[in-house]
Amino acid sequence: MLEQLLASVIDGLLLGFIYGLAAMGLTLIFGVMEVINLAHGPIMALGMFGVYYLSMEMGLNPYLALILVAVLGMVLGLVIYGIAVHRILDAPELSSLLATFSVNMMIIGLGTAFFTTSPYNVEFSMGSLSLGPIILPWNRVASAIIAVAATALLYFFLYRTPPGKAIRAVSQNRDAAELMGIPSTTMLALSFGIGSMLATVAGGLVATLFSFTILSGATYELKSFVIVVLGGLGNPAGALVGGLILGVMEGVIPVFIETSWVPVIEMVLFVLILLVKPQGLLGAK
Amino acid sequence: MAVLEVKNVSSGYGEVQILWDVSLQLEKGKLTSMVGGNGVGKTTLMRTIVGLLKPWQGSIMFNGKEVTKLSAHTKAAEGIVLVPEGRQLFTDMTVYENLELGAFSPRAKANFSRNLEMVYEMFPRIKERLNQLTGTMSGGEQQMVAVGRGLMAQPEILMIDELSLGLSPLLVLDLFQILLRLKGEGYTILLVEQNVQMALAISDYAYVVADGKIELQGTSKEVANNAHVREAYLGI
Ligand SMILES: Nc1ncnc2c1ncn2[C@@H]1O[C@H](COP(=O)(O)OP(=O)(O)O)[C@@H](O)[C@H]1O
Ligand SMILES: [Mg+2]
Repeated sequence: MLEQLLASVIDGLLLGFIYGLAAMGLTLIFGVMEVINLAHGPIMALGMFGVYYLSMEMGLNPYLALILVAVLGMVLGLVIYGIAVHRILDAPELSSLLATFSVNMMIIGLGTAFFTTSPYNVEFSMGSLSLGPIILPWNRVASAIIAVAATALLYFFLYRTPPGKAIRAVSQNRDAAELMGIPSTTMLALSFGIGSMLATVAGGLVATLFSFTILSGATYELKSFVIVVLGGLGNPAGALVGGLILGVMEGVIPVFIETSWVPVIEMVLFVLILLVKPQGLLGAK
Repeated sequence: MAVLEVKNVSSGYGEVQILWDVSLQLEKGKLTSMVGGNGVGKTTLMRTIVGLLKPWQGSIMFNGKEVTKLSAHTKAAEGIVLVPEGRQLFTDMTVYENLELGAFSPRAKANFSRNLEMVYEMFPRIKERLNQLTGTMSGGEQQMVAVGRGLMAQPEILMIDELSLGLSPLLVLDLFQILLRLKGEGYTILLVEQNVQMALAISDYAYVVADGKIELQGTSKEVANNAHVREAYLGI
């Protein structure tokens, strides 16, 4: 029992890093431009299909494919920003929800046409890692390591590089940033690109672990929302912590009750946090 | 030579016109003051000059080149720098990061070390607190960081909106000393200041703004001796 619990906790933690990475994409965009990106899930799904095509159809190593997927995710984000997001930044919140939801519908529509809604699988295994009684598939370990590395890179970028600092400046005070010569529109576009990139990379990592359809993004989008509320809206560190909490819950809950209870408990937690601590466990940005 | 020339500019917010046909010139190396009561449009004019607001009419020339429609970040990068009312620091960032962001443009980056030395020397207090988040500083310290950040931007024109608002008399004196020193070093400055007497005492030229129009202008001495100004703004 104890061993099983420990294995579940570790399993959950590993998955939690990927959840955290996905949620960071969502929370970064919100933190910088106060847009809730309702296309987050479908963008993740595109990341899944990106890794699938590059690895299964074109024979690339899935982790190598991830690099290309990241680049494509950035480009996709820049395009979405230019077409759908930029013009509604100063409009009432409902406009940005509708705009990103429209993008969501378009991706799902096109995706269904191309890929249908049947499940896909990135078939690829690297064996397992045994730590005493605990056996971990290398896929899981590697995805968690990549998620951690991506998180570290994001932090390095935001806190140590001029464009990263400029993005933080724009998120804190857009007018003041302009007054310092920072092209704020470029920085907003870049943030959306990075948010989208994080979503596709997280999606790509998920694809190396589970089978998926074009609709799979919705589940992860919902998880990202729970995580973001858990960790504090607009707070990337909070997203990481929230991701780990959610991952561990998903690992541990099935040890005690049926798996189908997991989403119920997640949503109850979501509502509870909103009621009791709406600024999230770590506080908003 | 006029570094900045504002010609017949009108501007406002949404449908509401605030500035009416305003013209103003800044001479190189001179300290120019803009005075006037609350809500007459001084901040609006500064925001229009830097490009945070788009002029409805009129033109703005910078070193003889038209910059009327340029974006705020482009103008800032060329040296039209505003230390805004209420300081507008990046409050979740450290003093050092704020100074660093002041020098974002290539022009400013090229002079980074020299400007940083100057800022440290002018404001020893902020040098001691480089790693403090600016949101946790007192009003006076924040104003020093705001001026320091503006200087890091390598200004051709330094505009300061409400230098001393809400600060203790001692700090106000300190900041005016700094201003005098900047003037001595040849900076071209446009100052908005509610302490009209002090502003007129240190500036070369002055504009009096009322109801979104230039009501009066002249050398500071002329303006200070104007009967209307003495009664309305100096309380003499
Ligand atoms: N963001 C804004 N939206 C609408 N009206 C504004 C805004 N900011 C200032 N105003 C109005 O513009 C007028 C001039 O304000 P301002 O330029 O701030 O004056 P001053 O700096 O001289 O005190 C005031 O009537 C003020 O209410
Ligand atoms: Mg003002």
